[in-house]
Amino acid sequence: MQQPKTNGKKVGAALIVGGGIGGMAAALDLAACGIKVYLADSKPSIGGVMAQLDKTFPTNDCAM
Amino acid sequence: MNDNFEPLIIGFCCNWCAYSGADLAGVSRLQYPTSLRIIRVMCSGMVHPNLVIDALQKGVDGVLVGG
Amino acid sequence: MKNEFEVGLSDRKAVYILFPQSIPNKATIDKREERPCKAACMYACPINTNVLGYVKLIAQGKYKEAYQMNRDINPLPSACGRVCYAPCEKNCNRGQLEDPIAIRELKMFVADQVNIDELPIPQITKTGKKVAVIGAGPGGLAAANDLALKGHDVTIFEAQPEAGGMLRYAIPEYRLPKKILEQEINYIKRLGVEIKTGVEVGKDIALANIRKDCQAIFIGVGAPGGMKLEGEGADQPGVTDGIKFLQAVNLGRKVEIGKKVAVVGGGNTAIDCARTVKRLGAEEVRLVYRRTRAEMPAAAEEIEAMEKEGIKTDYLTLPKRFFSKNGTLSEMECIKMQLGEPDASGRRRPVPIAGSEFKVSVDTVIAALGQVTQVEFLKEMGVNLAKNGTVPIDPNTGVTNIEGIFAGGDVVTGAAYVIDAISAGKKAAISIDRYLKGDPIEVLREDKKPEKLDEKEVAVLKQRFPSENRVHMKELPVAERVTNFKEVALGFSPEQAVKEAIRCLAGQIEGCIECEECKRRCEALAVDYTQKEEKVEINVGSIILSPGYQVYDATGKPEFGYGRFPNVIGALEFERILSASGPFGGHVVRPSDHKEPKRIAFIQCIGSRDHERDYCSSFCCMFATKEAIIAKEHLGKDLQCDIFFMDMRAFSKGFDEYYERAKQLGINYIRSRPASIEEVPGSRNLTVKYLIEDDKKASREYDMVILSIGTQPPKEADRIAKIFGIELNEHHFCKTSPFHPVESKRSGIYLAGAFTQPKDIPETVMEASGAASKVLSLLKEARGSLIVKEDFPEERNVLGEEPRVGVFVCNCGSNIAGFVNVPEIAEYAKTLPNVVYVGNNLYTCSNDTQDNIKEKIKEHNLNRVVVSACTPRTHEPLFRNTVRKAGLNPYLFEMANIRDQCSWVHMNEREKGTQKAKDLVRMAVAKARLLEPLEMMTVPVNKAALVIGSGLSGMTSALELADQGFEVYLVEKEKELGGYLKQIHYLIDGTKTNNELKSLAARVKENKNIHLFTQAKIEKVDGFIGNFKTKITMNGTSKEFEHGTVIVATGSKEYKPKEYLYGADERVLTQLELEQKLAQGGGLAKGVKNVVMIQCVGSRDEERPYCSRLCCNEAVKNALKIKELSPETNVYVLYRDVRTYGFKESYYTQARQKGIVFIRYEKDQKPEVVKTKNGLKVNVFDQTLGIPVTMNSDLVVLSAGVVPNEDNKTIGQYLKVPLNKDGFFLEAHMKLRPIDFATDGVFLAGMAHFPKAVEESIAQSQAASSRAATVLSKDSIELEGIISKVVDANCDGCAFCIDPCPYRGITLIEYMSKDAIKKTVEVNEVLCKGCGTCMATCPKKGIFVGGFKLEQISAQVNAALGVEA
Repeated sequence: MQQPKTNGKKVGAALIVGGGIGGMAAALDLAACGIKVYLADSKPSIGGVMAQLDKTFPTNDCAM
Repeated sequence: MNDNFEPLIIGFCCNWCAYSGADLAGVSRLQYPTSLRIIRVMCSGMVHPNLVIDALQKGVDGVLVGG
Repeated sequence: MKNEFEVGLSDRKAVYILFPQSIPNKATIDKREERPCKAACMYACPINTNVLGYVKLIAQGKYKEAYQMNRDINPLPSACGRVCYAPCEKNCNRGQLEDPIAIRELKMFVADQVNIDELPIPQITKTGKKVAVIGAGPGGLAAANDLALKGHDVTIFEAQPEAGGMLRYAIPEYRLPKKILEQEINYIKRLGVEIKTGVEVGKDIALANIRKDCQAIFIGVGAPGGMKLEGEGADQPGVTDGIKFLQAVNLGRKVEIGKKVAVVGGGNTAIDCARTVKRLGAEEVRLVYRRTRAEMPAAAEEIEAMEKEGIKTDYLTLPKRFFSKNGTLSEMECIKMQLGEPDASGRRRPVPIAGSEFKVSVDTVIAALGQVTQVEFLKEMGVNLAKNGTVPIDPNTGVTNIEGIFAGGDVVTGAAYVIDAISAGKKAAISIDRYLKGDPIEVLREDKKPEKLDEKEVAVLKQRFPSENRVHMKELPVAERVTNFKEVALGFSPEQAVKEAIRCLAGQIEGCIECEECKRRCEALAVDYTQKEEKVEINVGSIILSPGYQVYDATGKPEFGYGRFPNVIGALEFERILSASGPFGGHVVRPSDHKEPKRIAFIQCIGSRDHERDYCSSFCCMFATKEAIIAKEHLGKDLQCDIFFMDMRAFSKGFDEYYERAKQLGINYIRSRPASIEEVPGSRNLTVKYLIEDDKKASREYDMVILSIGTQPPKEADRIAKIFGIELNEHHFCKTSPFHPVESKRSGIYLAGAFTQPKDIPETVMEASGAASKVLSLLKEARGSLIVKEDFPEERNVLGEEPRVGVFVCNCGSNIAGFVNVPEIAEYAKTLPNVVYVGNNLYTCSNDTQDNIKEKIKEHNLNRVVVSACTPRTHEPLFRNTVRKAGLNPYLFEMANIRDQCSWVHMNEREKGTQKAKDLVRMAVAKARLLEPLEMMTVPVNKAALVIGSGLSGMTSALELADQGFEVYLVEKEKELGGYLKQIHYLIDGTKTNNELKSLAARVKENKNIHLFTQAKIEKVDGFIGNFKTKITMNGTSKEFEHGTVIVATGSKEYKPKEYLYGADERVLTQLELEQKLAQGGGLAKGVKNVVMIQCVGSRDEERPYCSRLCCNEAVKNALKIKELSPETNVYVLYRDVRTYGFKESYYTQARQKGIVFIRYEKDQKPEVVKTKNGLKVNVFDQTLGIPVTMNSDLVVLSAGVVPNEDNKTIGQYLKVPLNKDGFFLEAHMKLRPIDFATDGVFLAGMAHFPKAVEESIAQSQAASSRAATVLSKDSIELEGIISKVVDANCDGCAFCIDPCPYRGITLIEYMSKDAIKKTVEVNEVLCKGCGTCMATCPKKGIFVGGFKLEQISAQVNAALGVEA
């Protein structure tokens, strides 16, 4: 596997694969803590399955 | 009452729910009469009763508080 | 294309936005493969008609849309569908394989499908500019059409009595019926174009006079003069001009022709003349042409038609002399020609053959040799003319030598085709529009040439697309047509049109065919077809994989009819049907007939809990319950909802209550796994066949069935595993272990969500933050190294300044400008008080507009900014940032929402919508004038955390934070670390917990960043986010420390049962006690033959209505352990629902295989434990068999529930965080913020939140650390400016506002003022969220919310009503 050229230093960036609720939550935390985030998704919008939901149980809150 | 009467309504809408609902109506292209004037508030809790009474006194036909 | 967001319930286009609230909210073009052809048709067309687009629409049966697509480019599609020379067809790439597509006939077909007279007229915003068009031919009409659509007032001057030019006067009725042409001209008139016919410019009106009135003129007078026939005797009456002849016929004048007629010429006009003469009744008609048939410029189909109609042809023949007898034409002498060397036109020059003269008997000769212009009138204005009488122009722009005068069409080129004239008119219209706006006229046009397929491509395509003959349009039979002027072309039938349209190569692929319609329409010029997939290399320090899951393909269970029966759908499809933004707009209907269902069945565990997928999908039970509840909300309480299930797995917080509520709402739960579904013929209803509990067959009919389709690993799982070098488990989900729930087997790669196991949203969010915590530990020294902080200039003090408001009105492309009159709104804004600048932007949110706003703020010294555009909910932060960058306080900004709440919801009421938009702008300006700068307080952050509780969760949180580099105060009330975990010895998968616990405790004790206090009690916690101060006592000594955040990890305990003889008989144990015996006591005592486990002891009852989540798994775990240690022992598990969710399901399966007996009881028929002489006896009513059962039992094991820590209440009070009614801590949001409290800076982990398994507690604890780090990693926190402020002078300390404050952010204080006690309230700026409830309760205007003062809101009300304050 190809090694990144970082002179042994740690890179202050993370890749998140999947922009559903999990990927978004992780991205927000990391960005808030000063980590650059690359959030990748195969769809043209983030949101994942949750964006397709109408309501969520058990509060019947709107999922959007 | 005149059949063509269209009431002028002021809507105080909470930024987090009713106002975003009104935005969603737009995004979904739901059509409704033009006579509603929405005023955005950060919570329907901030709508002082005087605001409602005042508006009615000044001639608005209806007030909607959405929150 | 199928809309995947709507789970295939609706279709979408190849260019699409996934869903209305998509982020980013941008269109995507879905291109699956390269278009097979080169779209040469489109590039060959002088106006680049979107042939592939409209042909595809025809193939889809969308005829109106196809017409509209044509009409948008071409103002005369009906005419062109009949008379165009169709360069598209000549270049059609399918034509390289076989016959080209019948494009012109298809155009004619769609034009005939619409009633042009009924087409709506688009909204046009007038510019007030006037344009004159001279000549109402195709060029003039096209120019007028396009200019009128741009809002200019256009008048056409036409010398002839009717408009249409050559289309009307040169083309005979049988090719283009006048009525059709008139309809198209009428539509142009309806756009506001005035046509003055019978007015000859230069004679009836001078060009100079027109020039005085109009800012621009387009000359499109064509070339109406016929070229004269040369030769002796050619000037006698029997020899006439073709154009004049056709004109006379088309005008309906009586035309004298003889019996023997010769037409001289080889163009379309010659043929039109010949065919017209034939129809007028001439006995003999001949066409005389000096070259051969092959050189004729007329269209091949016209030549054919002429030949069919019996018209003779004399090729290579030139008339030379004309003889008359008795004053009338009698003979003409011709000479034969032969073809010589090519001439300037590239055609071989005809050369006379000496001595070949011959005579032909004729009485009429019509010369159709070509046309010339008649442009004397242009000289008066000094317009340059070429020698041949044409007008020289810049071909790209139509500009002549005189400013403001443009020209195009035959007057420029000499006689040419209709479509060329239209093209010229359109080009000139663009130039004229730019000229009138004052924009530079020179525009670079991208004129792509039509390309041919190469031989290889042709061969490949021939393989791919089987030969398909062109559909030939029906024509009027020759015998029926030569006697009259009826239209010869009969047009396609819809079936023929679709069949022909489907032949188009471009239309045969799925996805974008690059028809360029979107590119043409995109005002922002954002469409770039040359974009290709790019490979990007990025360097990252860590990776989180959260690719989610996919639903099982339910067609794999054909017995349920998914994919076969339209009314059997999956739960996700039903979710979309329930959604207001879904495929049916929130109208709950079934797919087959769009009727509201009256009976709905839900069938659980489709693709879960079966032989191949021995796991539970965890959320479907609640998902179905929710959908049933919502469906009832939509369709009323009479809707019958039956849920077929095996075990109701309502194992999370609030779920069992939700399930009970659903039952109360009348949702019917049927405990059975249906065998199959059959469709009722005719009604498309569905019969569900199932067994009831005593194995009797039953069936019920439903209108609709929802399958709760289980989850599967994402389809890319194997590829992802390979790329990232991680391991998957036997189900192809990602492998983890209980003590490392977010870690993959490769270091630095972390995991979250359903990729590791089917799970619900909150667990996913917990793992996500947990994974983030691992990343933060790994990359702690690199934190902040790659991100850029924004700098803002010093804020300008605007207090005391007169308001200077700048208003920026946005077109949002056509989103706003298409439905309301934006220029009018902008003009109106200028009239509002204190408005000193108004701008109008195409996209106010674009980067360059931000720069523009900043410039305008400086240039006009603006101190308030109003953007009139979309919703502040998405765009206010951007604009606030912009004004802040221009040195203004960000709160001196206001938005008027004229898109989401105006143009989009009043799309058919332009006037009223415009009026409303003006009102909204007025309201925004009224408020903006009163806006005041607000202070954004910053509070410093103490970079330490308090963790309360040192069980598994507390220790994990503390270690995570310590690893991230933060200081931790870990406070434990007990002597020992470990909490609940101390009583757990092994996990269901065999993991020994003792070593893990020991190692955790050791790491906690050794870690320099962790200050551990055991046997310590929290006395009080003061402060707020970033700045807490806590006092604890230990052994009588007290200690205080400061910290920025708190993590609550107070844990839970096992319930001490009061029932089933617990405590009264030592043979009755709890699961934890049993586990202790099994793990450390050397197993069961000898002679223990029968063990009975009773589930739900102290759970799911009146006192504790919640499920304790752990006990089913614990029972299965311990039952299996017993079987392992003593296989001959009988184990019975008395249960209500077995809730072995996720992968634990397989242990339940294993347990049954090992002979462990599961007996279901009901809540109101609980088992009894009786002490007898011979030991314990357990009586239970077996619900499955329907009989009472009695078991002798050597050991009764109670699955005692989990109860919250009794200290939660006190700790909740210290921290101002709530508990739920069961005594567990209540998170900020059950789905999205399961780790946060509503109080900032306080977080929640582990069993203090709700009972949970080891891996779940660890994930949530790691998550709490990550959430805490979002606070601790900052040096200071900037607080929102929109918060409450007290007006001390008005406040009399009545304290009305204190209790209503939902954030407990207001306190009553007293101070000495002028020797008296002054009472007033004080707002904690950190706690306040600006909801303004205080403002609404205050009778004295003693407290207000910044940016939402009563006066500011009042000003909006007054402005809305148009009254003065």
